Amino acid sequence: MATQAHSLSYAGCNFLRQRLVLSTLSGRPVKIRKIRARDDNPGLRDFEASFIRLLDKITNGSRIEINQTGTTLYYQPGLLYGGSVEHDCSVLRGIGYYLESLLCLAPFMKHPLKVVLRGVTNDQVDPSVDVLKATALPLLKQFGIDGESFELKIVRRGMPPGGGGEVVFSCPVRKILKPIQLTDPGKIKRIRGMAYSVRVSPQMANRIVDSARSILNKFIPDIYIYTDHMKGVNSGKSPGFGLSLVAETTSGTFLSAELASNPQGQGAAVLPEDLGRNCAQLLLEEIYRGGCVDSTNQSLALLLMTLGQQDVSKVLLGPLSPYTIEFLRHLKSFFQIMFKIETKPCGEELKGGDKVLMTCVGIGFSNLSKTLK
Amino acid sequence: KAVGEGSKAELSPANHQSDRVNLEKSLPMKKAALTTSDSGHCTAEEAFASEDESEESSSLSTEEEDSENQEALRKKLSKPSQVGSGQKRGSRNLIDETSDIEDLLKEEEDYKEEKNDPTETSGALKWKEDLSRKAAEAFLRQQQAAPNLRKLIYGTVTEDNE
Repeated sequence: MATQAHSLSYAGCNFLRQRLVLSTLSGRPVKIRKIRARDDNPGLRDFEASFIRLLDKITNGSRIEINQTGTTLYYQPGLLYGGSVEHDCSVLRGIGYYLESLLCLAPFMKHPLKVVLRGVTNDQVDPSVDVLKATALPLLKQFGIDGESFELKIVRRGMPPGGGGEVVFSCPVRKILKPIQLTDPGKIKRIRGMAYSVRVSPQMANRIVDSARSILNKFIPDIYIYTDHMKGVNSGKSPGFGLSLVAETTSGTFLSAELASNPQGQGAAVLPEDLGRNCAQLLLEEIYRGGCVDSTNQSLALLLMTLGQQDVSKVLLGPLSPYTIEFLRHLKSFFQIMFKIETKPCGEELKGGDKVLMTCVGIGFSNLSKTLK
Repeated sequence: KAVGEGSKAELSPANHQSDRVNLEKSLPMKKAALTTSDSGHCTAEEAFASEDESEESSSLSTEEEDSENQEALRKKLSKPSQVGSGQKRGSRNLIDETSDIEDLLKEEEDYKEEKNDPTETSGALKWKEDLSRKAAEAFLRQQQAAPNLRKLIYGTVTEDNE
């Protein structure tokens, strides 16, 4: 990790998180130029600056240089240190924005990471904490990251624009990751959901549940949608409601969908009935896309496969998302690893959209920071 | 691995070509005695051969191969035959020569008209009609349905490594 490799250079503000995370894991410095250089408001946004500060907190010895206008960033990664960290996330993006990257980095810390994140738990852009808890954590368990201390807890819920939510994420460290062979998605066996409402009538959540069930009941009887109404200080600073649905298959795959109401004062008011129905349809679409990994977690699965032992890992995915495609290119430039990509057309036995079988041999990444006991 | 595949790809078109030449030589003699069933058999085999070829050449489209294909095409043009129609269908997507394709289409139409009479009499063998064309179409459909994702994602660099 501490080896000095020549730095990679990129232009533009896209995929900033990917680049910084892969840089941290590979130990290669990155230089990113022309960050919104032609924009009226050039340079890094608040949420990106907050992300860089978070990276600085969990690493030891990182060197970060940002020029005056914020259009150029040089990042030389240090060692992943971990430990107890608290961070106030920007309310412009959800906590999911920060958590997604922490999920990639947490298993490779020197000390187990225990991080308290404050900000927006559910918004319309980033995967919510509920969804990450229901899909990303089981995925990490497939790679052998498990234990009592492995948990993600929502202490307070916060909706945009005010925020005020709080989550606690703790993750054990591992020296090596297990290779995975996920090629059978299985059949849907149950659907679980969480309808939440904060600072609005608790009846909202019940209305969401009714309308979501009106669609899903036609397909499977085993549905349970929890309602979660947080009160007082636990309800954050802004009103809102939303729904996240997770379908579990017989082989332990989790597919998710979610929707949240428009932030207060932005856009038209959303009816809870519409939101429930639309979210149920989004879940059906996600099930159609299918695969062994939810489309929000495709890149996480591919990263952990890359960093696994020197053994073959296979995973069957639904259609690759644009984010995942760019992530594959980045994996190639940071780790010189290329996946074998086979399209599996939906035949008789494989229902739904076309699937992609991704195969790679891990680079045998081992956590050098972890102290031996 | 790359070397092995490369050499295979270079060799195989030559083989196919020699096959074709043989077939074409034997065709005029056979043609008089050809029934629909016989011709169906012939064309089906040919169609598979052309499939193999087009697969390899699409993954490793070297200029040599293209030129070879064109040579093969020209030979066939001089001798309009049933076998040729199947083959050209297969290789048509490789070579963008509109004039050739137009010629091919004309030939095919001509040929069908000749062929119509025997098929109507032997109605039981109708499924064997145009087997080569069906095979070629099925192959093309499959090819179009499955894009080369590796190429799309990693760009052209991968072709050298593979």
